[in-house]
Amino acid sequence: MPTVVVMDVSLSMTRPVTVEGSEEYQRKHLAAHGLTMLFEHMATNYKLEFTALVVFSSLWELMVPFTRDYNTLQVVLVTDGCLGIGRGSLRHSLATHNQRSESNRFPLPFPFPSKLYIMCMANLEELQSTDSLDCLERLIDLNNGEGQIFTIDGPLCLKNVQSMFGKLIDLAYTPFHAVLKCGHLTADVQVFPRPEPFVVDEEIDPIPKVINTDLEIVGFIDIADISSPPVLSRHLVLPIALNKEGDEVGTGITDDNEDENSANQIAGKIPNFCVLLHGSLKVEGMVAIVQLGPEWHGMLYSQADSKKKSNLMMSLFEPGPEPLPWLGKMGQLGPISDAKENPYGEDDNKSPFPLQPKNKRSYAQNVTVWIKPSGLQTDVQKILRNARKLPEKTQTFYKELNRLRKAALAFGFLDLLKGVADMLERECTLLPDTAHPDAAFQLTHAAQQLKLASTGTSEYAGYDHNITPLQTDFSGSSTERM
Amino acid sequence: MKIFSESHKTVFVVDHCPYMAESCRQHVEFDMLVKNRTQGIIPLAPISKSLWTCSVESSMEYCRIMYDIFPFKKLVNFIVSDSGAHVLNSWTQEDQNLQELMAALAAVGPPNPRADPECCSILHGLVAAVETLCKITEYQHEARTLLMENAERVGNRGRIICITNAKSDSHVRMLEDCVQETIHEHNKLAANSDHLMQIQKCELVLIHTYPVGEDSLVSDRSKKELSPVLTSEVHSVRAGRHLATKLNILVQQHFDLASTTITNIPMKEEQHANTSANYDVELLHHKDAHVDFLKSGDSSREGSFKETITLKWCTPRTNNIELHYCTGAYRISPVDVNSRPSSCLTNFLLNGRSVLLEQPRKSGSKVISHMLSSHGGEIFLHVLSSSRSILEDPPSISEGCGGRVTDYRITDFGEFMRENRLTPFLDPRYKIDGSLEIPLERAKDQLEKHTRYWPMIISQTTIFNMQAVVPLASVIVKESLTEEDVLNCQKTIYNLVDMERKNDPLPISTVGTRGKGPKRDEQYRIMWNELETLVRAHINNSEKHQRVLECLMACRSKPPEEEERKKRGRKREDKEDKSEKAVKDYEQEKFWQDSERLKGILERGKEELAEAEIIKDSPDSPEPPNKKPLVEMDETPPVEKSKGPVSLLTLWSNRINTANSRKHQEFAGRLNSVNNRAELYQHLKEENGMETTENGKASRQ
Repeated sequence: MPTVVVMDVSLSMTRPVTVEGSEEYQRKHLAAHGLTMLFEHMATNYKLEFTALVVFSSLWELMVPFTRDYNTLQVVLVTDGCLGIGRGSLRHSLATHNQRSESNRFPLPFPFPSKLYIMCMANLEELQSTDSLDCLERLIDLNNGEGQIFTIDGPLCLKNVQSMFGKLIDLAYTPFHAVLKCGHLTADVQVFPRPEPFVVDEEIDPIPKVINTDLEIVGFIDIADISSPPVLSRHLVLPIALNKEGDEVGTGITDDNEDENSANQIAGKIPNFCVLLHGSLKVEGMVAIVQLGPEWHGMLYSQADSKKKSNLMMSLFEPGPEPLPWLGKMGQLGPISDAKENPYGEDDNKSPFPLQPKNKRSYAQNVTVWIKPSGLQTDVQKILRNARKLPEKTQTFYKELNRLRKAALAFGFLDLLKGVADMLERECTLLPDTAHPDAAFQLTHAAQQLKLASTGTSEYAGYDHNITPLQTDFSGSSTERM
Repeated sequence: MKIFSESHKTVFVVDHCPYMAESCRQHVEFDMLVKNRTQGIIPLAPISKSLWTCSVESSMEYCRIMYDIFPFKKLVNFIVSDSGAHVLNSWTQEDQNLQELMAALAAVGPPNPRADPECCSILHGLVAAVETLCKITEYQHEARTLLMENAERVGNRGRIICITNAKSDSHVRMLEDCVQETIHEHNKLAANSDHLMQIQKCELVLIHTYPVGEDSLVSDRSKKELSPVLTSEVHSVRAGRHLATKLNILVQQHFDLASTTITNIPMKEEQHANTSANYDVELLHHKDAHVDFLKSGDSSREGSFKETITLKWCTPRTNNIELHYCTGAYRISPVDVNSRPSSCLTNFLLNGRSVLLEQPRKSGSKVISHMLSSHGGEIFLHVLSSSRSILEDPPSISEGCGGRVTDYRITDFGEFMRENRLTPFLDPRYKIDGSLEIPLERAKDQLEKHTRYWPMIISQTTIFNMQAVVPLASVIVKESLTEEDVLNCQKTIYNLVDMERKNDPLPISTVGTRGKGPKRDEQYRIMWNELETLVRAHINNSEKHQRVLECLMACRSKPPEEEERKKRGRKREDKEDKSEKAVKDYEQEKFWQDSERLKGILERGKEELAEAEIIKDSPDSPEPPNKKPLVEMDETPPVEKSKGPVSLLTLWSNRINTANSRKHQEFAGRLNSVNNRAELYQHLKEENGMETTENGKASRQ
């Protein structure tokens, strides 16, 4: 999540802090010190994080802008908890919160998912002596409870500021390290951005799920088969070189830093499974299915930038036994070697995917809907059109007739059966002299059967019963005659 | 998200009393005369549906949309009420489809207008509805079983949609009271039962329907809480299409649906096949597919239900398969399923084409926000991320760890991936011990087997660069071998022996080595070692694997034996072959001295030595990619199986090579002595002799 740092630069931030040392600090110096620590941490361990800086007092100014827009944000608000007085102050804004109109909306909650972290350059006692803490807590509440307030433990000094920012870093900016595994082939990786915990169903399973630090590849699927699946989030999978203590040496990303550079160059020359995997996924047009936890899977694939760059990316599916209906249950996916014959074909010309659902959807099964008159008319017309081409269209004629009959019976629309029977009888009288004799027989037969069905008696109105063509002397030889 | 919300269980209660046989008084022309037909025919009189027909087809349409969009976990129980309640289906998933319901409705038939109205009542149906809501669904059961002690988290809520013809507002109130009372009673019953659940929440939707043109005797009432368990709303709706429209709105409300209209769909005209016109098709789907529109603060759209969001069809240009970043995929249902434009669109998609959808914008760049695509006969509306991402402009993989290595076995790994593709196994399989076999675990097992020995780069391997090894390498990783497999493996080994005899060149990488690289017999030794490593990694798979190894050992052990015979005269070598590490160290020195002594005599030998010294130095640089061949070559005695007379020069050159190889070995040992692996190697050597040692070493890489 990109971060916006919002820094309070109002006059109260210049209040001096008594430190048992020589130099005199102001609160804003402490704030700057804490932020420096945060930024340094990001620069080494969270390089790809985007950050912007806004300063405010009674007005605000964007010091360092984002160059992009995002779905989600983390906001780090640095303030001393002096909320000001009068119109426009936080206290006043909160008090009049209910009176705001739609055009003059309070900025919280943000119109995007976000976390609001408030870093107070004050300790708890100080904040509690006024109603500042309550007001700040209201802010978090207004942001749907997303966020947290940090205060300084003990006296205001550099050390305590550091420990406060340390807590923020632990909470929000710890890099996610994992081991990518494919059988015995492994690589240490950083997953960026950090995968967030996910709640599947707040009622029956309210505990947020977190992904394993062992990312285990279970098999591979063609891109065409996985077919742009919906995902919760995407993450870069960056190979990292770890030293013996497990500390990150570097992501191998070239950097200006001299020491890192040589380390990175060495790391760059050691074969890494991520690079091999990425290369093959890209060339083959495939994805690797990766297990993230119990009944939780994701996929690894090559993500190409618009330019020549490409990278190994991981997308997280929704947790559950069957995240993608067209793949079926994940647990039921097994190696092709277990199948009697290769489901992909000897020439790689077929695929076991997508799985067909048991029941077809309405649009794939020719359902009958007569809610609009046009629906009914079209169905009647189809019967009529085929009736006029008897006996060649005998099969289609009866197929359409039976479809109409079934629907009419289900809807209890027996009048329609009578009506269509009348219509077929009329068609019979309108047959030209050149008409095949079988046509008249079939029309009369069909009309009769519909009439019987329209009585609704179980004998003739069975749903599963189908009207079958009348067997006539002409039926067999009709095609020859034409 | 809650699985067990009110929409998990929907009970339809449709009135089947005599008055429902009444006409809705909305006529349908069904006899549409085609223009060029004989003049003078009077079309048949229009017909009209009964209140029953209107109710049934509207509720079927409700179910159609619901089943299209939520084929699972959203269940319907259909009840018809007259002199008693007829429950047409159950909560089981098999009963959840239109065909079942249509067949059941056909069996019920239309209401009998001549039945005694006194003994018919909708109340029977409502009581049955409450009863059925207490029944546990298979999903609830499954969740409860899974949650064990937390089973109480599984909710039991439901909705009753009752379509009837009520007499008055007080009649409606009577129905509501009845439902409330029944819930109260049944909850008491359910409290003492294992297979019934208490109703926590019930939404009663009463729809009063009456013939068009009549005045309604019942007034609308919005949702009202009658008790903590029961809420109720009343809709007074004219029959015919008004009722259908009402149920269409309700299904959208109940299942959080939204509407998208696909516009600009080019379609061939029915009459003029060579012209095409643009059509619109309206689709329903879960409203989350519009989450981006709602988020962007376009709040004017919220609330009103008949709103539809228009998206423009983008004619697909290529059939290129792309992996889009998709944040959601939602099943769709066409509003007008049988209309020509709808079926054109759905058929196009069902045939496997995907269509990108664009947001209509007056200005600015084109924004593709959605995609329609079918998967196995189901159409999904995919939401594509159109906002910019924090992952934009990431570092390229070539800039990171391992990014500078250029000889990855990309093609081989591609082949590996294809062999390790997944396929669904729908029928349960059982292991020998009778327990259920999970196919995905089998897939993991296979990956484990296939990667036991899998060098990542070309310069790390010889055997995988050799076509001749393929027949063995491709089968040895298998869990079990057939006789034929074993035979093929043996053939492969014989073939390699043959190659060695003919002194065929091997694709040994010389990358990173200075000079010409190892000599031919050295190359074969490397190759044999590697092959042995591969086979050894699998000997525990089966007895047949063991046989392959035996064959391999037999074939490759011959040369050293021959050698031994030859060497018997030369005492030093004899000793060397039985080498223990201590002896070796000692010998090494001796060899070194020998070589020193010979340096002046044999010019060629000197060159070789110089070369070897350089190679010896090379491991000083941190982990060169060709480390492995170098390390490996140090171990076995040179395979001096040259046929025919050997020149003194060759003999001495080999000798010097051997000596230098020894040095490398020692070097490698020092490298490895940081951890315990070096000790393991020694241990193996002591137990199994030279060959195992090499293997142990190789497999460590």
